[in-house]
Amino acid sequence: MKQLAIVVAASFLLLFLPPGSVSAPRQTIVVGSKHFNEGYILSEIMAQLLEDRGFQVDRKFGLGGTLICFDALRNGGIDLYPEYSGTLEQAVLKLPRRASYRELRRRLKEQFGLDLLDSFGFSNSYAVAVSRTLAEKIGLKTISDLARFPNLRFAFSLEFLNRQDGWPGLARTYGLSVRPLGIEHGLAYQAIRENKLDLTDVYSTDGDIRKFDLVLLKDDRRYFPDYLAAPLVRADVDEGAKQSLGELAGTISATEMQELNGMAVLEGKSFAEIAREVLSKKGLLHGGRSFRERSRWATLLSRTGTHLKLTLIALLAAMALAIPFGVLIYRLRVISRPVIYGAGLLQTIPSIALLAFMIPLLGIGSVPAIVALFLYALLPILRNTAAALFSIDPVLKKVAVGMGLTAWQRLRHVELPLGVPTILAGIKTAAVINIGTATLAAFIGAGGLGEPIVTGLALNDTSLILEGAIPAALLAVLTEFAFEVLERLVIPKHLRQKPAE
Amino acid sequence: MGAQVSLEGVSKFYDNEKALQDIHLTFTEDVTTAVVGPSGSGKSTLLQLINGLIRPSRGEISVFGSLIDYDRLPQLRLRIGYAVQGTGLFPHLTVWENITLLARLVRWDPARIKGRGQELMRLVGLSSSLEGRYPHELSGGQQQRVGLCRAMMLNPRIFLLDEPFGALDPMTRSEIHQEFLHLQKSEARTIILVTHDLREALKLAQEVVILNRGNLVQRGTCAEIVQSPAGEFVETFLNSQLED
Repeated sequence: MKQLAIVVAASFLLLFLPPGSVSAPRQTIVVGSKHFNEGYILSEIMAQLLEDRGFQVDRKFGLGGTLICFDALRNGGIDLYPEYSGTLEQAVLKLPRRASYRELRRRLKEQFGLDLLDSFGFSNSYAVAVSRTLAEKIGLKTISDLARFPNLRFAFSLEFLNRQDGWPGLARTYGLSVRPLGIEHGLAYQAIRENKLDLTDVYSTDGDIRKFDLVLLKDDRRYFPDYLAAPLVRADVDEGAKQSLGELAGTISATEMQELNGMAVLEGKSFAEIAREVLSKKGLLHGGRSFRERSRWATLLSRTGTHLKLTLIALLAAMALAIPFGVLIYRLRVISRPVIYGAGLLQTIPSIALLAFMIPLLGIGSVPAIVALFLYALLPILRNTAAALFSIDPVLKKVAVGMGLTAWQRLRHVELPLGVPTILAGIKTAAVINIGTATLAAFIGAGGLGEPIVTGLALNDTSLILEGAIPAALLAVLTEFAFEVLERLVIPKHLRQKPAE
Repeated sequence: MGAQVSLEGVSKFYDNEKALQDIHLTFTEDVTTAVVGPSGSGKSTLLQLINGLIRPSRGEISVFGSLIDYDRLPQLRLRIGYAVQGTGLFPHLTVWENITLLARLVRWDPARIKGRGQELMRLVGLSSSLEGRYPHELSGGQQQRVGLCRAMMLNPRIFLLDEPFGALDPMTRSEIHQEFLHLQKSEARTIILVTHDLREALKLAQEVVILNRGNLVQRGTCAEIVQSPAGEFVETFLNSQLED
């Protein structure tokens, strides 16, 4: 039922959109990225490299997790994104055993028609880290060495502690009998620095490894699977583009990736800057096109424009459906409950989940975002339209009928004009909700003011989050204000709702 | 003088509760008939049967010489003026917009609308300076006058009034009564006036219909009713209403 509603809503919306906005034109290469630091950096490196080689690139970064990216890649929403071999093996292909890189490549090609290019040259796997001072003092080099020091203090992130491929397997493989504590990952580094803790789990390319001067213990029994990072590309992408990406094979080591992650997390450099530095250091920029970062204001303006476009199209479409439906409910009371409940149900779906539902149906980008926003805007408008009509003074309705007005004339000249204040309030609510919700649309590559928020969340960078959150809040306030002006223009003073109502 | 409205054996029930019982009545052309009775007597139901707001459970109703066609009610209602207690003016429209709404909807030409609207306002004593005001800015008496003008706009041959002056103070009511009579003298029409106030009925109407609990108790000219009340109910009703 919900699916049906979504499909109906979606097809309705598609009528309003120019063709071609669903999948990008052939010559443009759409680069996606997952919603975390390293994903952004690798994707930006690939994007700049492709741009340098003369390709038109469309960036759809920060697309949530593995499944969102992989689905988007399969249905053509994006053309490529960086993925990890271990993730492909376990989360995507769900293989019961270790598979070689060659086998992964073959299976991806056969099952999904995707090309797994050669790895960038590093693996971002789980690793066990200790402080350099301690390691050097007691001569700790490998995980096997741990058996000799039963008094070390272990604490692991809760996920690692409970995953079968985390601590339980590690303890079995290496015969470790200590009982580690669970700790919030972010706090573990601090605890090691303050000498409250000796050892924790990390991702091997984590920028914090350098910051806190940790060393990784060698996984001498090869317990952890490889998480080799590599471009995963649709087969139909231009061969020249694949060749260009091939130039990145084996060029980035784990230590180097730690550094790059550190530049973003610790030094607050932009992904664009980091990518440009890497590429020029490696002599990979041929100057086919000079890189230029857009000014802050131009970026802000274009994001705001996108944000407004998403919100406005969704709002107009919702009005076009919800106002007539509100009238229909008023005329046909039998359907009023089912329709209002249906719209209410849509409202209860968490926005991020609704956006995720859209991906298998509509891919990524602005179309699914607009459909989701459209669905959110329905209820306030629908409910207020119906409420406005139901609450009209019965004497006025009777007089309008008794005077000889036809049903349409009553609607046009009496009922709707009297309902305008309430209907407008519903539209205002929908607009403000949409401006807020549209920030989440960045998770599925629709852009807008959510873009810096999503990136900022990945980097834990408050100023970046504010770069999106403040304009979005201002936009909401401005919208509120614009509606007040509109109310003043179209509603006679004595019929206006008091602000408190 | 012909009959413009006639009811033949009309009954109306609401969930087995009878509101009107086997009513036979005709209303004479260009005459004002008052329908009086205590509350719950069915007088308001009677009025709403005539413009089709209510359909009879039994019996037939003819207006302008033919049976009511319930598929074409708006067309019929445009030819019947209708005013109710509390005026029912549309709050989002100005005085002028309220008065001229129907004429605009049936697409009279603007000059005709202007002429007719101004004529009506003059007849009921409304200053033209009020044209741009909204209903809530008017006194009760002024609102009532606007209501009359609105109902008269298309110059309907039949005019239904449902307790239109009920909420007014005695001074204003008396003034409006004068304008009502003035209006009727300059543009005579068939008027059916529902009221619970017998004094008002005697003042404004030539004929009176008295209802009690859905039954027609007496029908006659004002003089006939006062001089020879039919039965105990009418006598008591007269006494309770007319004693000072």
